[in-house]
Amino acid sequence: MNVIEINNLTKNYGKERGIIDVSFNVEEKEIFGFIGPNGAGKSTTLRTLLALIYPTSGSAKIFGKDCIKYGPEIKKEIGYLPSEVFYYDKMKVIDLLKYSASFYKKDCSKRISELADAMDLNLNKKIDDLSFGNKKKVGIVQGLLHEPKLIILDEPTSGLDPLMQQKFFELLQEENKKGATILFSSHILGEVQRMCNRVAIIKEGRIIQLEKISALQENNYKKIRVQTTVKLDENYFNIDGVSNLVVSQNMISFLFKGNINSIMKKISEIEIINVWVEEPDLEEIFLHFYEKGA
Amino acid sequence: MNMFLHELKAYKKSTITWTLTLVGLIILFLSMFPTISEEAEAFKKLMEGFPEEIRLALGLSVENIGSILGFYSYVFLYISLFGAIQAMILGVSILSKEVREKTADFLLTKPVTRTQIVTSKLLAAFTSLLITNVFYLGAATMMASLVETKEYSTKIFFLLSLTLFFLQLFFLALGILVSLSVPKIKSVLSISLGTVFAFFIIGALVSTTGDEAIRYLTPFKYFDFAYIMQNSSYESSFMMVTIAFIVIAITASYLIYSKRDIHAV
Repeated sequence: MNVIEINNLTKNYGKERGIIDVSFNVEEKEIFGFIGPNGAGKSTTLRTLLALIYPTSGSAKIFGKDCIKYGPEIKKEIGYLPSEVFYYDKMKVIDLLKYSASFYKKDCSKRISELADAMDLNLNKKIDDLSFGNKKKVGIVQGLLHEPKLIILDEPTSGLDPLMQQKFFELLQEENKKGATILFSSHILGEVQRMCNRVAIIKEGRIIQLEKISALQENNYKKIRVQTTVKLDENYFNIDGVSNLVVSQNMISFLFKGNINSIMKKISEIEIINVWVEEPDLEEIFLHFYEKGA
Repeated sequence: MNMFLHELKAYKKSTITWTLTLVGLIILFLSMFPTISEEAEAFKKLMEGFPEEIRLALGLSVENIGSILGFYSYVFLYISLFGAIQAMILGVSILSKEVREKTADFLLTKPVTRTQIVTSKLLAAFTSLLITNVFYLGAATMMASLVETKEYSTKIFFLLSLTLFFLQLFFLALGILVSLSVPKIKSVLSISLGTVFAFFIIGALVSTTGDEAIRYLTPFKYFDFAYIMQNSSYESSFMMVTIAFIVIAITASYLIYSKRDIHAV
C-alpha cells in the first residue's frame, strides 16, 4: 500500500522554478530518502505534501486522501520536522510541547518524557535560551510525540552532533519498526544510504533517479586521490570504472565505481606518498548522473 | 480552544499594558474636569483666542466644555487615538507574527484548518479588546460620577464610551487586512502608527471643513459626538459603514489566508 502518492506535482513561485512534474510513491513502513543539492526542490515537495504551499498543478495523496483537501484530517497522523526549527521563544520547552500535544486528541505526556530522556533534552528551559542543536531536539520531540504513522523530515540531522544523529536515527528506526513510514530529505548521501530502503534523487526541480538503495550501493562510488613520488603517465589510472580523472603534477584524483580490489591493486603497484579514499559528495555523483543523461 | 488560549496568553502583557494606559489616561483627564468646569468662562475666552479652524481640528467645541459630556467628548479624541493604535497593532501582528517569528511551520502542520487558526486568533484579539473596554468603561463611568456634581445622561455617556470599542474593531479588521495584503511585514509598529496617524490627521482636517461626505474617509469621524449627544443614538449610515467594512475585511482575510503559500524561512 502506498502511504504517499505524488502525481505530476508542479509548483512555480511566480516565474521561478519550484518543482516540475514530480512523481513518486512511498510505500507503507518504508524509509524513503529524498536527496538532492540545496535549492533542488526538496523542501518545496515536502511543504506541498503538508499543504503549507499549494501546487500549481498535479496532486498528491497521503493515506489515499488528497493532501490539500483533506490536509487537516491527514495531519493528525503526520509528524513533521522542518529544516530550520523556530518556536515561540518565550515559552518553556515543556509548555511548547504540551501546546503541540494539545492539537492531538490523546495523552502524550508519557511519550514526551520518554523522548526528552532519549534525546537528553532539558524540558524546563526557555526556548530562547537553547542552542541550535537543542532547538532541533525540541523539533524532533515535537514531531514524534503523537506517535504519527507518517514522519516527514526536512534535513533532519543538520545541527545535531554525531552522537545525537546516531541517537536520532535509532529513534527513527524504532518508530519504523513500530509501523511508521518515514520520508526524509537530505543532501548527505551517506545518511540516506544508511537509513533508507529507497531513494528519489531530485535536481533542478525534477526527479532524475528513483531506485532501491541496494541498486545505488552497486553504484558504489569512491572518490580517490593519490599522491605519487614521481609524475605518472596520465593514462595509468584510465581503466574501467574510473571517471572524472584529473592529473596535476603528482596528484591524481578520480571517481571509481566497480570492484574496489582492482583499483587497490593498481595503486599498490606504484610508489605513493599518500592516498585518500572518500565517499564522493552528492554534487559529484550528480555530475556523473548528468553526464550519463547527456 | 487551545489556540485561542495560547493567543490570549501571548497577548496578556499587551492587553494589560494598554488597559492600564487607557484607564490611567481617562482618570487623568477626568480629574482635570472640576478645575476646567469652574473656570469654564475663562477657558472659553482663552479658546476663543484661537482661530476657529484650529479649535475645530482639536475637537474643541467651546460652548459645552463646562459640562461633563462636553468635556468628555473633547478628551475622548485622544482616548480613541490610543485605542486605535492598540487595535491596529493587534490586528497587524496577530496573523503576521507567525511568519515573522517563523512559527508558521509549527502551527500549520498541526491538524487544524486555516479557518480555525484565523478564528482562534480573531477571537483572542476580540477578547483582548473586550477586556480593555470593560475596564475602561468601568473607570470612565466611575470617574465621571465622582467629578460631576450636576445631573447628566449616563446613557449618552455610555454611548460615547462604547464608540471606542467600535473604532477598535474597525482598526483590528483593518490591521488584519493590511497584514495579509503586504507580502512581508518587518515592523508592525511603523505600519500601525503610520496608518492610525494618517487617519487621525485626515480626521482633524475633515473637522475643519465640516463636509459630511468626506467624513466617510476616516473612522475617527464615524461617530459624531454632537449628534450622539443630541439624539442619544448613533448615525445609522456610519454605523452601517463600520459594520460593512469589518465584515468585508474579515471575510477577505479568511479568504486570503486560506489561499496563501507559507514559505520556508
